Amino acid sequence: METDFRRVVIIGYGKATGEILKYTADRRADYGYTPEFIEHEPHALSVTKQICEERGIPFASMPDKRELGGYLDEIQEKTLIVSASNNFLFPAVLVERENITIINFHNALLPDYPGRNAPSWVIYRGEVQTGITWHYVTAGVDEGNIIIQKSCEIGPDTKAYELTETLMDLAYEGFCECFDGVLQENAVARPQGFSPERRMYRSSEIPGDGFLDVKEPPEKLYCLLRSVDYGKSGIFPPLQMEVSGKRAEILRYRKVAPEKKKEGADMLYLPFADGELLKIKYRLL
Amino acid sequence: MEEKVLEILEEYCEEALDYEGDNMMEEGVIDSFTVINVVSELEDAFDIEIDAKYVVAENFRNKEAIIELVARLLEE
Repeated sequence: METDFRRVVIIGYGKATGEILKYTADRRADYGYTPEFIEHEPHALSVTKQICEERGIPFASMPDKRELGGYLDEIQEKTLIVSASNNFLFPAVLVERENITIINFHNALLPDYPGRNAPSWVIYRGEVQTGITWHYVTAGVDEGNIIIQKSCEIGPDTKAYELTETLMDLAYEGFCECFDGVLQENAVARPQGFSPERRMYRSSEIPGDGFLDVKEPPEKLYCLLRSVDYGKSGIFPPLQMEVSGKRAEILRYRKVAPEKKKEGADMLYLPFADGELLKIKYRLL
Repeated sequence: MEEKVLEILEEYCEEALDYEGDNMMEEGVIDSFTVINVVSELEDAFDIEIDAKYVVAENFRNKEAIIELVARLLEE
């Protein structure tokens, strides 16, 4: 197999990145490129460093975006940059370099839901289907031609972290399917069609503005709670609500059967239409 | 308490019950998403808050470490 790419640089964190890293390392013998990994966003549970050590792949941690930008800017060889679960925005001057090709996976079906935290917004907006998109990176955010898309369903109880896990699996699947085409520069990529209503989601935006109004139907509250649920990752601050005129922070929530209701301090039970209860544990601020 | 922790692990990560090593995450026995599920269940089962600072590979290196974490938080 032949490619003109001499280097493949992977930037990202998380499960999909780890799998993509392994795959890229395992395929290097087919093409002769040199793989390397850059950790830009350290994560407490990341195992990418271990994967690099096991497979003899150069690992570098560059949390400073200027340092990362500077490093990438110095690349002279024909290089493929794989951006997987990566929030670093590639400068236009880098994207436009002849010797650099960048592909990125976005965790939504572009052109819908561009920007940040797409899994949260699709849940919050009540979508029943979403997916991932691998696309070429251009100067515009999430605007490049689409290489491959994979879709999945969103269930009525799906939480943001569960959806993210599914999307990670799809991202890896999609990567394996398109990698050869990208390396051989014969991948068929199609332009995105942008509607005038296209809306970019920013990192500063929080579903429901971060506030749970307990006067709303529990179904809507449950949707909001699920949309911001990434466990302890701190992607969003805890939702707040008002209890007896006081501000409270939500600690956790759960859908429970009526017989599982247990009275307790700082706990709220709200009835769903189907008889189940939305249990919310909170802490007064 | 130990029994409940093991019950939760059995539901989300059965492999962890037989794992004898010291590095569950690095060895792929448990991944970050499973940790989120386990943390959520532990918090609910024991009515405790597991702060993000405790959600590190060291505290999830094996089932004994998880039990130790819960015991520590119950004492606080």
